[in-house]
Amino acid sequence: MNYVVTTYAFYLLISVALTVWVARTLHKSGRLFLVDAFHGNEPLADSINHLLVVGFYLINIGYVTLALKYGDKAANVQELLEVLSTKIGAVLLILGGMHFFNLYVFNKMRKRALLHGAPPPLPPQAHLSVVGQI
Amino acid sequence: MKRLYVIYDGQCHFCRRCRVWLDRQPAYVPLTFIPLQWPEVSCRFPGIERLQPDKEIVVISDTGDVWQGGAAWVMCLWALREYREWSQRLANPVLLPFARRACALVSEHRQQFSRWLEEESADRLRERLAALPVEACANDRYCEPH
Repeated sequence: MNYVVTTYAFYLLISVALTVWVARTLHKSGRLFLVDAFHGNEPLADSINHLLVVGFYLINIGYVTLALKYGDKAANVQELLEVLSTKIGAVLLILGGMHFFNLYVFNKMRKRALLHGAPPPLPPQAHLSVVGQI
Repeated sequence: MKRLYVIYDGQCHFCRRCRVWLDRQPAYVPLTFIPLQWPEVSCRFPGIERLQPDKEIVVISDTGDVWQGGAAWVMCLWALREYREWSQRLANPVLLPFARRACALVSEHRQQFSRWLEEESADRLRERLAALPVEACANDRYCEPH
């Protein structure tokens, strides 16, 4: 096995492991947000959570496999480590971006849910009695 | 709060347009529109004359809380599903004076806005009527509207 193939093997192993770890973290911690956003409707929250994680896997593993052959080719151990580090760094940045995007989506959903029960933003200026139903 | 009553100037074309727009939006709190000229307004809301509802829009909740002018507009937005976030933004102390001023300005010049809108809608109606095909009437009978 030459250096290039070794780089690819380590790259795939580390990237997929990282993706799985981030996806699991999102799945576990994002659930609470979603349950709150859907007013305690747990089956719906779980379903949305699952769909989001599936999308997360598809995008990240898609990027990892697409980016496999790009970059310098290693000819010795030093270059192997450098190439591996660059490639994993790119994956980490993409994962970070996706992670924050997911957080943004969770937060947006939660905020929207909170709006439903939000009190009037301004206090009344006067009070009148209302006679009968109109 | 289960309902908001919006007291608006029913003789102002611009206000009627706004009412139609508000009525079309999906709402968290249903809005009931009451023209100022409705004879029962003062019986249903005793003391409303003190607020001079002919000057600026008034919003009254079913529990009797009252907002007027810019605040009334903010409350109308708050009642709507798609605009509640905007109402919270506008209610911010930095933006609220601007909202109030804009609302006062619009209320003051609403007749002018109405004239523009009326002229525009009259022109549009004239164009649409002109575009309709004219049916020729037979000589031995009069034309009946369809």
